[in-house]
Amino acid sequence: MRFRLSYFVIVSSILLFAYFYSQNSIVTSSVVFTAIPFALPLALAAMVGVMCERTGIVNIGIEGTMLVSAFTAFFLGAILKNISAGLFIGIMTGVLVGLLLSVMTITWKMDQIIAGVIINIMAAGITSFLYRQNYRIPSTFLPIDIPVIGDIPVIGPIVSNHGPITYFGIIFIFGLWVALYKTPWGLRSRSVGEHPSSADTAGVSVVRLRYINVTIAGAVGGLAGSYLALEAVGIFERGFTAGKGFTALAIMIFGRWNPLGAFAAALFFGLSQAVTNQLMIDEVVQIPQQFVTMLPYVLTILILAISAGKVRPPAAEGIPYEKEKV
Amino acid sequence: MIKRIASIFFAVSISLFGLTACSSGTEETAAITEADCGTEGAFCIGLVTDTGKVDDKSFNQSAWEGAVAGAENVGGFAKYIETLDPKDYATNIGQFADAGYNVIIGVGFLMAEAMTTAAKQYPDIKFIGVDQFQGEALPNLTGLVFPEDKAGFLAGVLAGHLTTSGKTGAVLGTEVVPPVRYFGEGFRNGVAYAAQLLGKDLPATKLIYHAPDNAFNDPAWGGATAKQLLSQGYDVIFGAGGNTGNGALLEIAKTPGAYCVGVDADQWGTLPEAQPCLVTSAMKLIDKGVAALVEAASAGTIEGGNFFGDVGLAPYHDFDSKIDSAIKDKIAELTPQVLDGTVPTGVKL
Repeated sequence: MRFRLSYFVIVSSILLFAYFYSQNSIVTSSVVFTAIPFALPLALAAMVGVMCERTGIVNIGIEGTMLVSAFTAFFLGAILKNISAGLFIGIMTGVLVGLLLSVMTITWKMDQIIAGVIINIMAAGITSFLYRQNYRIPSTFLPIDIPVIGDIPVIGPIVSNHGPITYFGIIFIFGLWVALYKTPWGLRSRSVGEHPSSADTAGVSVVRLRYINVTIAGAVGGLAGSYLALEAVGIFERGFTAGKGFTALAIMIFGRWNPLGAFAAALFFGLSQAVTNQLMIDEVVQIPQQFVTMLPYVLTILILAISAGKVRPPAAEGIPYEKEKV
Repeated sequence: MIKRIASIFFAVSISLFGLTACSSGTEETAAITEADCGTEGAFCIGLVTDTGKVDDKSFNQSAWEGAVAGAENVGGFAKYIETLDPKDYATNIGQFADAGYNVIIGVGFLMAEAMTTAAKQYPDIKFIGVDQFQGEALPNLTGLVFPEDKAGFLAGVLAGHLTTSGKTGAVLGTEVVPPVRYFGEGFRNGVAYAAQLLGKDLPATKLIYHAPDNAFNDPAWGGATAKQLLSQGYDVIFGAGGNTGNGALLEIAKTPGAYCVGVDADQWGTLPEAQPCLVTSAMKLIDKGVAALVEAASAGTIEGGNFFGDVGLAPYHDFDSKIDSAIKDKIAELTPQVLDGTVPTGVKL
């Protein structure tokens, strides 16, 4: 059932693309091309959610993680006049935030929702307080024209000319899927998220695995924030993550807690954003932008309603693990 | 259990720390301090920002600079409160009113309702509402409004002359805020006017609006939208909508050969990263307008209703040598005609 659905989605999107491409090739490839920058920050942020929730930790602090990482990535990139250093620091900031969440939720066994709220509020407060004007990074990460692939007719203009963080992010998403479903680490992680006491009985250290995964997830959140500051925009502004970390939670659920599913959901959202813009450009019909902003949430509700019972979150999500307590 | 209570307590206390309703700052001039406000001879000006910050490189900052300049000119005292949540507008205005301030400036269209309520409640205080058009005039509430359509129109005429592909676009904040729409539609009509002048057939400028949610603080959306326009051959793009518009300008700056037009302030100075593409900015001189109104309030000559501030195009800076002098002459010739209304912008206000 699940496989057939995904095949159906893939085949119908290819057919739709072919139809529109035959109608207007320039606009069609431009729309699909633009869907990627719209989707990428959401996709990366959704990966943070997937990694945490698969091991049983609810992370609603993604927005805060992105914001504070974007902040350090931008300002240290500007001070050191080196955006690669900025990127490294942004990711390390994400690691620190991930560690903070781990300590709060795993060691202190705090309510995980509250822990996430703390991260969001602290991030908004600290970045506002420390923000200074008149800092500039030397340049952003510039788009890369991929030599051979960029010359392939239809696909080239769409997949080429994105920035390095974009490519790295996409590769990471596929890597995460492989790691989660095809490696011992992935099996252990998922078992810890489903039934930690069984995993513990089988000799998996629940606490250690949760610490590792939440911390790596923090690094991914740092990457998402650095992407915004150093590749997508090139400036930092207070609150400029504009709710992407929250949209990502809806996208994660829409994507059934699966990296590729969430990536597809993010692409779908990015595409709907680009299509809405295109409808405004072509003055075909004015779809209110509010409608698009609402879309991931409405779709999440629909998906959850239609597939009730089939899609479910990891069983142990949100419950602090205590040894020898069932 | 105790651990749980402790953690909730910890969370709540940190939330309170983070959610303190506002932050504030002061600019003291002469010998007056905040304690003197409400006493004879002290002239105090309070400014409440919209949900943006006082150093937002855009309209809040301009308004604050105007308040400071006005305070200096009349020997008064100025202080600001940054609004973090729209539901705090009334509270923040009330703080100044209760402290005995003489003039309260509220920045932004979205605060209009809170300002009207406060003006009725405190008839002795002069209120200045930036970007707040007054439908019915209150004696102590002055709306500082701008004919944004005229600035947009002039920028559009320039854009119509500069475009080589004939495709022009605008990446805008939300349609819900009238000044944004005036800028955008003025720009579009300006391009159409240029097409008429040149006898060319230019397609209508495309206006793309963000959703009202986070409309002025989503530079990533602005950037990606600009990318979409650029990849379809649009070569002159107007970015108007706070940080959202700035995101578009920054993206265009990375594309050689494309031009961009800034908004509100001369963005050559406020957003230097956009200099590679920034031909001009459609300016509204909020600082000048606020300072003039503060001085009028101090002199007692301020009137209720609407006060129209100045708009215009920013200098071309480095593009001055790259723009054909015939085009520059045309713009210079057209500017007074557009500003005094001889050449109508055709935007429905």
